[in-house]
Amino acid sequence: MKKVIALCLSLTLCTTLLIGCSKQAEETSTETTATAADTTTETTEATEATEPVEETVALGEGVLSEEEATLRIYAQYSDDDTIIPYDYAVEQLAIAYPNVTLELEVQAQDDGQKLMTYAATGNLPDIYQVALAQIENFKESGNIMVLNDVAKSTGFEDKVFDSAKNILYNEDGNIYAFPYAGNEYVVWYYNKAIFDKYKVEVPTTYDELLAAIETFKSNDIVPMSIFGAEGWITAAMYDVLATRWDADGIAKLDDGKGAPTEEAYVNAAEMMHTLVNAGMFQDSATSTNYDQASEMFLTGKSAMFLNGQWYMTDATGILGDDVDWMNYPSYDEESYESGKVVWSGGGAAAGYAVNPNSEKAQLAAEVAAFISEKYCEAKVMYRGTPLVALDVDAEPETEFPPMMEKLQSVLPEITSITKFDWHLTNGTFKTTLEDQTKYMLVEDYTAEEFITELSNSLTQ
Amino acid sequence: MKKFYSNKLAIFFFTLPALLVFSVMVFYPIIQVFVKSFYDWNGLGSGTFIGFENYQKLFRDTVFKLSNKNALIFSVFITIFQITLASVFALAVSDQKTKGRNILRVSYFIPVVLSVTVVCQLWLAILNADSGLLNQLFKALGLNYQQNWLSDRNHAIYVIAFVNAWQWMGYQFALMLAGIKAIPIDYYEAAKIDGASNFQAHTKVTIPLLKETYKICLTISLTGGVKAFTEMFIMTKGGPGNATYTLTYLMYKAAFREYRYGYGMAAASILVLQCIAIILVINWLFRDKEKKEVA
Repeated sequence: MKKVIALCLSLTLCTTLLIGCSKQAEETSTETTATAADTTTETTEATEATEPVEETVALGEGVLSEEEATLRIYAQYSDDDTIIPYDYAVEQLAIAYPNVTLELEVQAQDDGQKLMTYAATGNLPDIYQVALAQIENFKESGNIMVLNDVAKSTGFEDKVFDSAKNILYNEDGNIYAFPYAGNEYVVWYYNKAIFDKYKVEVPTTYDELLAAIETFKSNDIVPMSIFGAEGWITAAMYDVLATRWDADGIAKLDDGKGAPTEEAYVNAAEMMHTLVNAGMFQDSATSTNYDQASEMFLTGKSAMFLNGQWYMTDATGILGDDVDWMNYPSYDEESYESGKVVWSGGGAAAGYAVNPNSEKAQLAAEVAAFISEKYCEAKVMYRGTPLVALDVDAEPETEFPPMMEKLQSVLPEITSITKFDWHLTNGTFKTTLEDQTKYMLVEDYTAEEFITELSNSLTQ
Repeated sequence: MKKFYSNKLAIFFFTLPALLVFSVMVFYPIIQVFVKSFYDWNGLGSGTFIGFENYQKLFRDTVFKLSNKNALIFSVFITIFQITLASVFALAVSDQKTKGRNILRVSYFIPVVLSVTVVCQLWLAILNADSGLLNQLFKALGLNYQQNWLSDRNHAIYVIAFVNAWQWMGYQFALMLAGIKAIPIDYYEAAKIDGASNFQAHTKVTIPLLKETYKICLTISLTGGVKAFTEMFIMTKGGPGNATYTLTYLMYKAAFREYRYGYGMAAASILVLQCIAIILVINWLFRDKEKKEVA
């Protein structure tokens, strides 16, 4: 009996294995056929390329290509700011590229490790979202396509705002990714209702800020909630302070054009230490995440909040007219006024990149350009932000929040922006800056220690 | 059985699959770690050979020194905490007179079966400086002892070590309880006939016979402490600043956040050597008496 059971199990195992193999063979066979068909299509298209008139006639209205393909795409798809633009882009893609299907793989929040693993194993998706630091890595290993020609042929290059040209071209002058986000800004939000209630004026100098902190603390209000569990926001806080003394902020250190021992950076570190010791942030600042810190601000437990300009829609949605942004306070009135045109934030040559080893690399590049453009449209139409990379013909579904309109009105006057933490190119400096600015939230961590560690990172 | 052991071919074929898996999954990667530590390598491509440069940088790195100090604190803390408590609890639970032995046995082991993430989130909630249970408890009791448990640069490493020790004490406890149960009851009867008290029976019989168990427990806790990572990663991200960095965290930062894989591999090599050194020292300390005399 046992032998019969064993025999049955073995047969089942063998059959399953064979079915699996045959399926694989079938898939391979289909792929081979598809590749052959594609080659034919490409050949036909290549021939048609010499007869542009015929090609224009052949395509339907709004159709850019009838080429058939399934492309793997690795993209962010986790919140409204990423889901809405992606869904809109896919919807539009179905019209312009009716025979292209996208297979979405949601980007992991893992410091780019999954993408690195894909690159190392030769399994990169056809299109992928990439950060600046990874572009540098992928350039060396030939895992990223140069998109100069596609940017020209699709008209993408011409649509980029002049003010956003800096985020299109890499330092070597090439285009490696199609950006969609424009230059973005670190915004110092405040709750007007709380300021009014405790009769606190919007601070323009650090002395006024310290006085405001004292008032809020004596009334059990956290002066500013910060999500110190994330390094980028503490780095942004430091950058905001540093730009009061040196307009280039942390970008200058990242570019190797300055040293942390310079007066501006030392002053900024000392000021951050002073603010922390005055009780500017909540007690558990180093372990507070974004949701917790934002909740504090939106529920009136904290009076101020630091975040990007993308927070305006959400903040206005909950606080309405009670929320506004202020210019960064400075060390004196004069520098406060002159510093109004100097902002922390910026952009980088990052966005949708293409795998050069993709079987449909050319088509993938065109699709990547198309998706980036549609992202810009969606952001303007549905996300209440005009800060996109391309000049798109789109109108917002609802009016921009008043805070955004206020920001838009000052944008033309801005003379200098720095870099967001994730746009820094020196990886060692970036991680040290994140760690050390988080460390600065601890009362007994001194400015001297901070400067020493930052200097050490740059010598590495 | 003797016939089987004399058949070298059978031994070779039966151990071959396991050896192959071990070589591919463990041995080869470890060798690669050492090889790549001599390269300037960003994780892609083959990298550039730079000799001992990564090691030179590592030994100059202040964070490397801090990481080693933290690893030492962490290892010693969890070893003392786990082995002491596990011994006491195992002895108590093995005693037939102890009431509620079954409940205690299960209770001590429950944290072990929980996910590390769950345990860390639990303690994050308890230790939160603003709304955590611990500070609220002190407040309710009228004690002015509220702390920033995870933001204190000097004590955060102890707090994290405590969380690790709390979770894994049950594992050591289970090993010791199994060891105690393996000791024949005759030894205790003989000790009682000789007039030994309970305490004497444990110090003269139980603990000496648990030597091998202690050796395993020490190895697990010390090497576990040296390569600690998960708790720091979840609870403090190595912070505040880099106050709770360990060598594993330094390796993670260098390789996965900075794309300096060569430097990360150098840190990993040191980590492997430290673990091997710990195992060798423990084996030497616990070597048999006869061998000690020969030595």
